[in-house]
Amino acid sequence: MKPENRDIYELLIIAGSFLLLVPFLHTHRITDFMIFCIFVLSFDLLYGYMGRLSFGHLLYLGAGAYGAGLSLRHLTANPLLAILLGIAAACLLAMLAGLIVVRATGACFALINLAFNQTGWFLVMSPLRGITNGQDGFGIGAMRLGFFNFGSATFRFWFVLITLLLVFFLLKRVTSSPYGVLVRSIKEDETRVRFLGYNTYLYKWLTFVFSASVAGLSGALTALNYAYVNPNTMDVHKNVGAVFACLIGGAGRLYGALIGGVVYMLISNFLPLYVLRWEMFLGLALLIIVFRFRRGIWGSFEVWLSRAAASARLRAQSGKGAPVK
Amino acid sequence: MIYTLMYGLTIGAILYFIAIGLSLTFGTMRVTNFAHTITYTIGVYLLLTFVTQWKVHYFWAAIFAVLAVIPIGYLIERFIIRRLYGESLDYTFIATFAVSLIGVDVVKWIWGVQPKALGDPIRRYIELLGFTFPVYRLLIVGIAILLFFALQLFVRRTMVGKIIIAALEDREKVRCLGIKLDKYFSLVFVLGSALAALGGVLYAPITSVHPYMGTSILLLCFAVVIVGGMANLKGTFFAAFALGMVVAITARYWPPGAETMVFIVMAIVLIFRPIDV
Repeated sequence: MKPENRDIYELLIIAGSFLLLVPFLHTHRITDFMIFCIFVLSFDLLYGYMGRLSFGHLLYLGAGAYGAGLSLRHLTANPLLAILLGIAAACLLAMLAGLIVVRATGACFALINLAFNQTGWFLVMSPLRGITNGQDGFGIGAMRLGFFNFGSATFRFWFVLITLLLVFFLLKRVTSSPYGVLVRSIKEDETRVRFLGYNTYLYKWLTFVFSASVAGLSGALTALNYAYVNPNTMDVHKNVGAVFACLIGGAGRLYGALIGGVVYMLISNFLPLYVLRWEMFLGLALLIIVFRFRRGIWGSFEVWLSRAAASARLRAQSGKGAPVK
Repeated sequence: MIYTLMYGLTIGAILYFIAIGLSLTFGTMRVTNFAHTITYTIGVYLLLTFVTQWKVHYFWAAIFAVLAVIPIGYLIERFIIRRLYGESLDYTFIATFAVSLIGVDVVKWIWGVQPKALGDPIRRYIELLGFTFPVYRLLIVGIAILLFFALQLFVRRTMVGKIIIAALEDREKVRCLGIKLDKYFSLVFVLGSALAALGGVLYAPITSVHPYMGTSILLLCFAVVIVGGMANLKGTFFAAFALGMVVAITARYWPPGAETMVFIVMAIVLIFRPIDV
């Protein structure tokens, strides 16, 4: 395998794994999974890479969903433009909110985001009811532009799959760039990065806005996928899903985010059918992750892989060094 | 307007009861306790069971409910919080959130999801300067003020209180004096949990009782702690009443915005005074 082709192989593997799910589940459901994976990727950038846990990231998903939905309803009939407008809505909101939130760290960061999310949810529910139709939400019609027919489930599946691959590729490039290294160093020790002369607030703000824009993209896709928007898209209590997905997959790894997203969606879609007390199960699983399984699935896999490689190397060396009779 | 002020004082008192535990837990153990209001919810449901099913008098039921959550608080501290000392804030946050998920689910399991209501247990009114006040609300505010002075006395005059205040300032130095802090930490945690349950028990008759009641008030209490300053007992007291007033006054002029206004105030405070945790 040539190194320059590696990206393409990786993307093909991801696409192949999602296609493998198709025979087992409905296409519609897998589209849902992939949209959630995009959201988890955006959350992972913020939490896994920059080390800032947010309990209000769904606000930006909601902003994207409402941005896309409202612009399809009132401004344009072009679904692609609507997606862009949804991303722009989330991006603008994050630019404003980011000015306040990046000043906080740790628990304060999580709580302020949570407060903003709650405020956003409330704004949609009550004062802006005239526009957003409050709790009932609104439906979106006419989502077709030539080849881009969002009315068809098959087209949505392929569109979302390609978007997911693009987002993954973009995030992979960003996180392995010098900027990505800087973001990871902010996670390790922000004070030292500041000593090196970097304006960490700027970088944190940029990352926050970037992450929120990706979340906005997943929101816009959610709106198009369901052809329907309601305040549940930004329900504060659902933030725990992203945290769980990120942790079980392995925080700070893009593959971890993908695996975690799929695992969480499988659990939340199918577990309630069999287990009534699934919130309790989620709580117990989170406790186990925090106390025993911090690396997550992908992290453990990487450790296992490197151990296997090390022992293979050791065997090869001892084989070479063995005396010849 | 007087009634609005009265309502604000009541809310402020309740917020104070709950926020004090949060503030102390944070200050001493550096643990942001998302599971704090689980004892609040459980206390309320125990009270409900005692009053409606076992026909215990409200006063005794309240005392039993507060006492009954003490072992629950201890168990949470012993098996979850104690393992989180020195961990990064994210993990403490997630672990305590998991505890609150489990707790809410247990409450749903035992008592069901239907909202319930309790009546005002005193049902007396007092005439003062031409206004009628329900005695019960005056009582809540009275208990909050009494608690404030009792806590001040506790941390100034008793050895245990002094150790706790010293630990708020600098844990390492207290440890260097040869004091085993773990014991005091569990004491603080249990005290905070019991006070949260007390707040719940007092608030239950004037609000609706449902499994998620803890989560909704927890956000307000975090706002109180952030505005008042983490681990600042006096700050928590004044912030609780100030934000209680914000809730009451907003509720009078713009009812749906009452809780959101608290977060706006919190955001404004954070713009002028960022908190590094």
